Amino acid sequence: MKNSITKELRRVTRKIIILMFWMLVWELCSLFINNSLLLPSPVEVAKVLFFLTGKIYFWKSVFNSVTTVILGLFLSIGIGILIGVAAGLISFIEELLEPLMVVIKATPVMSIIILALVWFKSSNVVIFTAILICFPIIYTNVLQGIKAVDKQLIQMANIYKVKNKYIIKDIYLPSIKHYIVSGILMCLGLGWKVSVASEILSTPRYSIGLNLLNAKSTLETAELFAWTIVVVLLSFIFELMFKYYVKKRDSI
Amino acid sequence: MEVLIKLSTNYEVQLINLCKSYEENSVLDNINLNILENKITVISGPSGCGKTTLLNIISGIEKEDSGQVILKDNNISYIFQEDRLIPHLTVYENIAFVLKSTINKDEMNKVITKYLEMVKLIEFKDKLPSKLSGGMKRRVAIARAFAYKSRLLLMDEPFKGLDDKLKTEIIEEFLKLYEKEKRTVVLVTHDKEEAKLLGNVIYSLHMR
Repeated sequence: MKNSITKELRRVTRKIIILMFWMLVWELCSLFINNSLLLPSPVEVAKVLFFLTGKIYFWKSVFNSVTTVILGLFLSIGIGILIGVAAGLISFIEELLEPLMVVIKATPVMSIIILALVWFKSSNVVIFTAILICFPIIYTNVLQGIKAVDKQLIQMANIYKVKNKYIIKDIYLPSIKHYIVSGILMCLGLGWKVSVASEILSTPRYSIGLNLLNAKSTLETAELFAWTIVVVLLSFIFELMFKYYVKKRDSI
Repeated sequence: MEVLIKLSTNYEVQLINLCKSYEENSVLDNINLNILENKITVISGPSGCGKTTLLNIISGIEKEDSGQVILKDNNISYIFQEDRLIPHLTVYENIAFVLKSTINKDEMNKVITKYLEMVKLIEFKDKLPSKLSGGMKRRVAIARAFAYKSRLLLMDEPFKGLDDKLKTEIIEEFLKLYEKEKRTVVLVTHDKEEAKLLGNVIYSLHMR
């Protein structure tokens, strides 16, 4: 017990030292460049961030962006799993979707955002873009997972005339769990990047993207950095929460 | 093909002019075979002569190129060469997996408990297959096959890979279950001693 606490303390201390090292590198770079318009110091950015957290519009923007990202991710995951399972079980569906997947994966994110701006109102652009970018990742992972399922188990289930719903529930879904988890982890970071990029172009009211755009327009580089740190922190928190959830489920 | 005893007319399975080829290799060539009800029919022969293919065609895993397979009943239990236990389900859940499409929960619980007690694995019912020895996994597969209500039990070299002591134990477990609940068994093996010990009827397949 004492050993594991010491080990954990050492691990956390190491991480803090590494973080402080990079803060120091940042500080030294900003001192070297000596132009806060180009590279503000960590202290300046921290001051701005502290100031922002006292404003209602900061929390409104964070709340709206978080809600949009969560919605986009949930829809991507849901659609990705459903269609991925269908394509994995029915080869015609996989063939039918292949050209669409190739096109979506190859299309630049900006093209998708600009097209979405033409088709939808600004609040829906972000969700649409997040789904279009994240769903192929989940779909591909689920498809690979289905194909990797032990065919001998499926044969056994067919010989014993097990109903399809039990085959899917007890063989396919548990087998693709790890593929889904790895797909979601990829989408968590990407979902934030794509959503914020969409917000910058679609400028929905009270969003992190709009605040980034405003900071850039007013040449408030420290504020730009502050909002970027907010996005990085939120993405990190999402990932931590998801990993904790998966760990908790596995231990039950 | 060699037939060692006189056949009666009580057949569980009839194979008529069965042919099967893989690419240009003929594996089964005009096989005519009658499997007696409630007897253990052994199909023996060297590796590659088509024994497993024959079982797979009877079970429906593979389709014959020509000929007919006539079954008295479509419910089949199968003990494979590999255990084919679902790795993330417990022993209990693995047997429940094949039963839950056909019987209710209470009945299922009674059936599983009965067969796990018969193969002496009741204390292991909540264990995952990864926590079991090779012999235990084989016993779970046997319990699963008997728990499933079927007239026909197919066994594809079920004792392969077991050491002699374990093999004897598993064969004894199987025979105890078989004596209590006779059903038609088709057993594939290349082991002549196994064939003589278990078979009421022995067919011998030869390579072409």
